[in-house]
Amino acid sequence: MRLRRFRRLFLLLAVVGPGLITSNADNDAGGIATYSQAGAQFGYKMLWLLVGVTISLAVVNEMGARMGVVTGKGLADLIRERFGVRGTTFAMLLLLFANAFTTVAEFAGIAAGMELFGVPRFASVPVAAILIFLLVVRGSYPVVEKVLLSIGLVYVTYIVSGFLVHPPWNEVLRSSLVPQIVPQRDYFLLAIALIGTTVTPWMQFYLQAAVADKGIPNENLAYSRADVLVGALVTDVIAFFIIVATAATLHGHLSSDQLANMQAGDFARALAPAAGRFATTLFAIGLVGASFLAGSVVPLSTAYAVTEAFGWERGVGHRFAEAPAFFGIFTGLIVIGALATLTPDLPLVSMILLSQDANGIILPAILVFMLVLLNDRRIMGRYVNGRFANAIAGFTVAVLMVLTMLIVLSSIPGSPLSG
Amino acid sequence: MLFLTEILGAEVIDVRQRRTGAVRDLTVHVQEPYPIVTGLVVSRRRELAIPWSEVRTFAAVTREVALRSSREEIESRRADPDDIWLARDVLDKQVVDTDGRRVVRVNDLQLVESGGRLLLVGADIGVRGILRRLGVEGFAKRLARLFGRDLPMALVSWEVVDPLNSVPDRQKPASDDAVRLRISGRRIARLHPADIADIVEELGAKERKTVFDTLTEEVAADTLEEMELEDQVSVIEHMDARRASEILDDMPPDEVADILTELPEDVAQQLLGLMKKAEAEDVKELLAYEEDTAGGLMTTEYVAVSENLTAQECIDELRRLEPDAESVYYVFVVDGDEHLKGVLSLRDLIVARPDQPISSIMIRDVIAVHPDDDAKEVAAVLSKYNLLAVPVVDDEFRIQGLVTVDDALDAVLPESVKRKLPRAH
Repeated sequence: MRLRRFRRLFLLLAVVGPGLITSNADNDAGGIATYSQAGAQFGYKMLWLLVGVTISLAVVNEMGARMGVVTGKGLADLIRERFGVRGTTFAMLLLLFANAFTTVAEFAGIAAGMELFGVPRFASVPVAAILIFLLVVRGSYPVVEKVLLSIGLVYVTYIVSGFLVHPPWNEVLRSSLVPQIVPQRDYFLLAIALIGTTVTPWMQFYLQAAVADKGIPNENLAYSRADVLVGALVTDVIAFFIIVATAATLHGHLSSDQLANMQAGDFARALAPAAGRFATTLFAIGLVGASFLAGSVVPLSTAYAVTEAFGWERGVGHRFAEAPAFFGIFTGLIVIGALATLTPDLPLVSMILLSQDANGIILPAILVFMLVLLNDRRIMGRYVNGRFANAIAGFTVAVLMVLTMLIVLSSIPGSPLSG
Repeated sequence: MLFLTEILGAEVIDVRQRRTGAVRDLTVHVQEPYPIVTGLVVSRRRELAIPWSEVRTFAAVTREVALRSSREEIESRRADPDDIWLARDVLDKQVVDTDGRRVVRVNDLQLVESGGRLLLVGADIGVRGILRRLGVEGFAKRLARLFGRDLPMALVSWEVVDPLNSVPDRQKPASDDAVRLRISGRRIARLHPADIADIVEELGAKERKTVFDTLTEEVAADTLEEMELEDQVSVIEHMDARRASEILDDMPPDEVADILTELPEDVAQQLLGLMKKAEAEDVKELLAYEEDTAGGLMTTEYVAVSENLTAQECIDELRRLEPDAESVYYVFVVDGDEHLKGVLSLRDLIVARPDQPISSIMIRDVIAVHPDDDAKEVAAVLSKYNLLAVPVVDDEFRIQGLVTVDDALDAVLPESVKRKLPRAH
């Protein structure tokens, strides 16, 4: 009987997906670099922040998924309908800005990963750019997506590595629960990057659009919630072990000069306890795979969000002349990402970290847009935000704004934070 | 000519020259061909509804609306609950341009004064509307002229616009909303089902629902047939079960079986229970077969006639059955126990003498497949014998159904090839 064979399985497949996929793409170049840098530079001292960010990620993703299910519309759509042309233009400029940075980071991830295989970036970056463009425009992307997603499994090695390095578990546990703040500019910058790479602006648009596309009925909201919660947990368990593994292998062994100028090869050493001499290869495969995945998703989802908001023709099924804005944004972001990465002598890791800071600084504005929408009864009906979600999301906004202010303050010469 | 966004935010001055608030919205009464503006919504301490008859003038330059009466006289007015609020319900929303057969976004609304009344005549869907609202329309126009270009206005007449407002209105009962939508949803319902399908595939799940709510069962069934399985399932899932079952009744049983397979079992069973008995039986039979077999692909809508008829009687019988175009490729001849005895083409029937028994003109060696045959074998048979459809028979050669060439092709073509096929417009 066809009916019986499919019933539960399909219901799960229909609902489960977007959350897990986005979370997997979360451990992209930006994620790997930021978590690794956090472990290498500050040991276990940022674990508590990661635990907090995990709660925030789960809450924010749940909000997006709920909005997608209840309204059947993407975030860009709702921003336009609620905030008009001016608000939308502001939000879309922020999104374009953040996603241009993210795309640069993904290409830098591809370049850094391929350099570990001895391929110079002048070869790897143009090839990757053309490949991404063709894959997406030709529509063969869904197949490739599955391959890239499975490459993400490479990062399970971090969990093994995290156990094999025999970290001081007492300290790990204490650092995960007790906040420790290092009053340094580097620490604040990395904290913004850590939040910004985990709860990214682009993901809010991608996740909600993906959920809305599936047309999930309100009754199945619970499945969608389970999907994003599991997704958030999986992402951050890996992130947790990246920090633990790099902290145990690298922290305290590097000079401040080295720390300020990390190389992808240094990060790879965190995998050595589990992978031995294959550590570098494994790290490079994972980095290139995840960066390639996000490098395709980010430009594509940006093009969809902007054209949706302004009501322009969109979709890879169109020809270039029919949907110039859609293809223009998509191609433009890839070109920016590739060109920026090709700048000679550019430190790739520093650039990746910087792009995550940009995301973290822009994120509060996107979260505020979301919060207004989620508290609007005309839009959400009885599914409006509860107090808990408002508090967590609001707190995330506040923390990011305080951190950003601290960065600004620390740039003033002579302030106690500078230096 | 006036645009909605030029009047929004304008200062309202009453007859005694007192500031009475800023224009927040315009209300219109829906009528053909152009909706008529019935009043202003003004935000002050609380919402004020001012009937359009109280408006003396609107000065576009100073952005001031002058009233005929004092604000005390209008304090108690309420907006008609049946009216549509332009800024709230239409502006920035997606609408269907039924002329261009596409989904567009309303950047602004065009109003025209005619015979003392203000009418909503069109929607600005172009970049000019966006620039106007950013306050840079004039600047952009000058900039364009500098490069010898012109910024054309992209307006769509309201006569061809179909709003898709699907934002639930919590202040009103649901039935009220449905009535409003049904009135405004007529235009899209007049399009060809293939065009409606193209349009709704661009919409979000909830907006699809509002479009489908305005279609008759037959049109909804035809539209659904033109859509991808994934979208069909989502539409049916969002629909009220009773209406969904009525639409499924109008669809070919093989398509219904495909849709039900993808639904959770309790939903599928509920829909089967609500469907007409005969249709539900057909679907249940099909559900028993594996997906990629002749049984899974076949439809139970085929034409079978008794072997004892004459050519004329057979044509009369076809007239009575009114079969769908898809199933009339071949006329199957069966005995009293549904055993397949032969096959006729329409041509054979028409060229035969009216009194000729069909058993003397039919082809007796019928090419047929078994329900368990693999989809690839079925496609091979269709291709080898150049058939448009092939009958499916059981072990005793009793006819069970019919696989048409398009369904067989769908099943054997790899996904990658299907995606590359040009999209018809």
